[in-house]
Amino acid sequence: MTLFSALLIFIALILFVLAQLFLKRAMEDDLRSARFKKKFAVGLSTMTVSFFITLGLLQHFELSYLYPFQGLSVVIISLLAAAILREKLTPRLFIGAALISAGVVLVSLS
Amino acid sequence: MIQKTKKLLLNPWFQLVLSVLFVTTSEVFLKRGAVEAPRLPDEVNWTGVSGLASPDVWSGILFVIASFISWLYVLRFIPLTIAFPLSNFVHVLVPLASWFFLNEHISVQRWCGIALVLIGVLIVAKPVARMEENL
Repeated sequence: MTLFSALLIFIALILFVLAQLFLKRAMEDDLRSARFKKKFAVGLSTMTVSFFITLGLLQHFELSYLYPFQGLSVVIISLLAAAILREKLTPRLFIGAALISAGVVLVSLS
Repeated sequence: MIQKTKKLLLNPWFQLVLSVLFVTTSEVFLKRGAVEAPRLPDEVNWTGVSGLASPDVWSGILFVIASFISWLYVLRFIPLTIAFPLSNFVHVLVPLASWFFLNEHISVQRWCGIALVLIGVLIVAKPVARMEENL
């Protein structure tokens, strides 16, 4: 794995996390409001860019190796959902999220 | 019958399951399509845009859209701290599908990682299942 592909994997991950937070906020809004459209548009575009970067990476790496990098997003999203969206993050939920991320990292290291 | 189907389709937990299945299907199609797509010069190749020439990539995209719609519905009703970890069941299903449909090799270490993900998902899912029973 080159530095460039590592960077691409990282960018795809960050954009994916941002998209989830924006979409969550959007979907809780009134679906006809301007606020919904704005948040939805930001979420959709960051997700689209993330998707095409991932598609490019798939041409160079095996799916079962590459895909799990996104698993790191579990812990990141859980923490940000608690911090930014003010969702309740119980210790149990956090342990579950951490185990999932750990498992996913183990998969991507092998 | 129609009432029952409608009720099932409107259930956010059912949509979460659908979303996970759609993602897994899309990944298998995308990988198959990405491999058979023509390679462009390296400077532009990283975008993966040449993959659009493959019908498998388009099937993959359709399943991505389907999973996305299910996921949006999920987001409206289930907190992200619960829905997102649960959606990571794809990290169990995708390697299994890669192994089954794409003949990719899965090492022992990888199986261990998949098992950890599964345990994490179960830890998140258990209190949710109890919560649902009480409803």
